[in-house]
Formats: sequence, C-alpha cells, structure tokens
Amino acid sequence: MTPERWSRPQRRLHAWGAVLVVLTLALSLAMVALPMSQLLAKFLAYQLHKTFGLLVLILTLARLGFRLARPAPALEGLTAARQRAARWGQAVLYALLLVVPLLGYLTAQAAAGPVPTTLFLVIPVPHLLDPDPALYAWLRPMHQIAAWSLIALAAAHASLALWHHRQGLPVLGRIWG
Amino acid sequence: MLDRRALLALAALPALPVRGQARTRYVFDQSVGRIGFSARHLGLFTSQGQFDRFQATLLIDPNNPQNAAVECVVETGEVSIPFPGATDLLRSEAYFDVARHPTARFAGEANGLTEAGGFPIAGQLAVRGVTRPFRMTARLVERQGGVARFQAEGEMRRGEFGMVADRTLISDAIRLSVDVRIQA
Ligand code: HEM
Repeated sequence: MTPERWSRPQRRLHAWGAVLVVLTLALSLAMVALPMSQLLAKFLAYQLHKTFGLLVLILTLARLGFRLARPAPALEGLTAARQRAARWGQAVLYALLLVVPLLGYLTAQAAAGPVPTTLFLVIPVPHLLDPDPALYAWLRPMHQIAAWSLIALAAAHASLALWHHRQGLPVLGRIWG
Repeated sequence: MLDRRALLALAALPALPVRGQARTRYVFDQSVGRIGFSARHLGLFTSQGQFDRFQATLLIDPNNPQNAAVECVVETGEVSIPFPGATDLLRSEAYFDVARHPTARFAGEANGLTEAGGFPIAGQLAVRGVTRPFRMTARLVERQGGVARFQAEGEMRRGEFGMVADRTLISDAIRLSVDVRIQA
C-alpha cells in the first residue's frame, strides 16, 4: 500500500541532510577564504567541512536504505510527466549526495600535505590514497562542480516544492515536520 | 648577499679548536644532504618540511667522528613544506621573517664522547636573530666505499626564538634533522 507521507525518520533525515549540506557549503567557502594568518580557524573550518560532508554521506546511505525498504508516498495532483520529472530529479539528488562527499573525501586524500581527516577532530577517518598533485588537480574542480550542481539542483527542488505547495498541493506536509 | 654571508661564516671555521689531528674539512650543500624539520599538530598529525638551500662545513675524522665540528647556514627563504600556502606562511614575519633574517645558522662541536644513539654536537643555533645553545645528536649511519652517511637530530623550541604564532595548532617543539652523505 502506498503511504500518505514519508515516515518520521525519513522526514528527520531529509531535514538534517538539508541543514548539513548548507553548513558544509558555507564552511567550504569560509575555509578557502580564511587567510593563512588565521591558521587555527582555517584548519578547524576544513575539519568541520570534512566532518559535516561525511555525515551527509552517511545520512544519504541511511536515507537510501529507508527509501528502498518502504514505498514512496504517491505524488497526487501532478501530471504523469511531472511525477516522472520529480522522481528523476530526486534520483539525481541522491546520486550527487553520494558523489559530492566521495569526491571531497578523495580530494582531501590526494592533496599535497597529508592533513588527516577526522570526524569532529576525534574519530580518525582513514586515507586510502597517497598525496598526488596531478590527481588532486583533477579531483578538486570535480568536487567543486559537483557540489555546486548539487546546490543548484537542491535549490530547484526546494523551489518547486514551495511552488507546488502554494498551488495547494500537499507536497510540503509529506516531507516536512 | 646570502652567499657572501654563508662564505664568511664558513671562512670563520678554521678558527674552531682542532682536537683530532686527522680531521678533514668537507664543504657540502643540499645536493648531498637534506635538512628537515617537523612539527606536531594537536596531537593528531606531524608535518614535515625542509630547507632547499644550505651550505655546511664539516670538520671530521671519519674514523673518529665524535671529534667532529660542524657549521651550517640555511637560507630561510628556501624553506619548503608541502601544504598549499604554508611555505609563504613560514617565510612571513611571524615565522622565519625572511625579509629581515635571510639565514639561520648552527655551529657546534662534538665533545669527543659517544652516547647511546650517537655523539652529541653542542653549539649555538641562530634563528630570527636570536642565538641560543642547541644540541644535536649525530651518528654515522653507514660507510660504504668512500661515502659516509651521517644523520643528526635535535629539538628546538621555536618560542625561544620569538616564533610564537599559532601555538594551539603548531607545536612549540620542532624536530630538526640532518641527513648527509659525504665523499670521504
Ligand atoms: C555535501 C557535501 C559537500 C559539499 C556540498 C562540499 C562543497 C565543497 C565546495 C563548494 C568546495 C570548493 C570551495 C571553494 O573553492 O570555494 C569544496 C572543497 C573541498 N572539499 Fe568539499 N564538500 C562536501 C563534502 C566534502 C567531504 C566529505 C570532504 C572530505 C572528507 C570534502 C573535502 C573538500 C576539500 C579537501 C576541498 C578542497 C579545499 C582546497 O583545495 O583548499 N568535502 N567542497
């Protein structure tokens, strides 16, 4: 049977995922902009960017688990074409939510200067690659482009949800709150 | 100008007291050796860098290395460390202050004694215009054919030389290491 709403854990994970992606993006801009003379702040911004980014990856895996275990609520009131577009958009969002942090994780490993990756400075996250400047030169822009694609698509996804909500469709109530 | 300084420093060397009779004078630079340093960060990891240009003179009797004397002048502007932006940071006023102090210098002598792990070389280390007593422990690692390989290690406290920036993130204790092969 098709449920009416996303389950409570799904709604929570969705909200946390959104918050974490925004925080991770804000930290990425701050960590790059901070001057070397503010080394501690810069270092902490990098560590938190990597921490929150990896949490996005973990949350997304959990979300995919829930998504596969339980049918999605029906998208009532949308044309079949729009339903298909929404599903595709969501599939690409899931893919980017996996690819962006994975590319980030690889970027961090390939960067010259072996700064370790940790979760909150406490839990060490292993590096599997050695520093590799050529690989880094490729990975870093890929990570950045994928990240901005994710942000753009997520913004479109949120705007469309809001727009449909204004049109009187019950989309927001199913995922929020 | 750097070179002249280095040469002057080297020229002063023969004035060091000569204890061992069979000491030979070797002049060498980065082409046969490496001078590195390392720092700890928040107990999480270690970073390593090196000086890409230096001039050193070693007075040594390879059969009696514990009578060695050494003098080394590094060009602080040639510091290098593989973290983006960090090399410029190390050249800045808060660190080596390269504009005002283009060289750092160590001159020391072994005291004829050997200890576990090597023979101590005690002398003076000058960084950022501050000169302080400094001690390294050196050892002959291997001798093959005419080539002798020496390593030396010592620990400085950067704060003693006025290098006090970023103390939370970068340890005060900095390990210095020398690895050199000389053609005996
Ligand atoms: C949702 C997850 C993530 C987003 C949205 C994101 C976003 C970004 C963005 C936009 C940049 C470029 C910043 C700029 O140059 O302006 C960046 C850089 C970077 N990110 Fe991420 N990131 C995420 C996850 C991760 C993860 C999980 C890691 C590592 C474990 C990571 C490591 C890095 C590194 C190393 C850089 C390059 C910084 C540099 O070269 O100085 N990112 N990230």
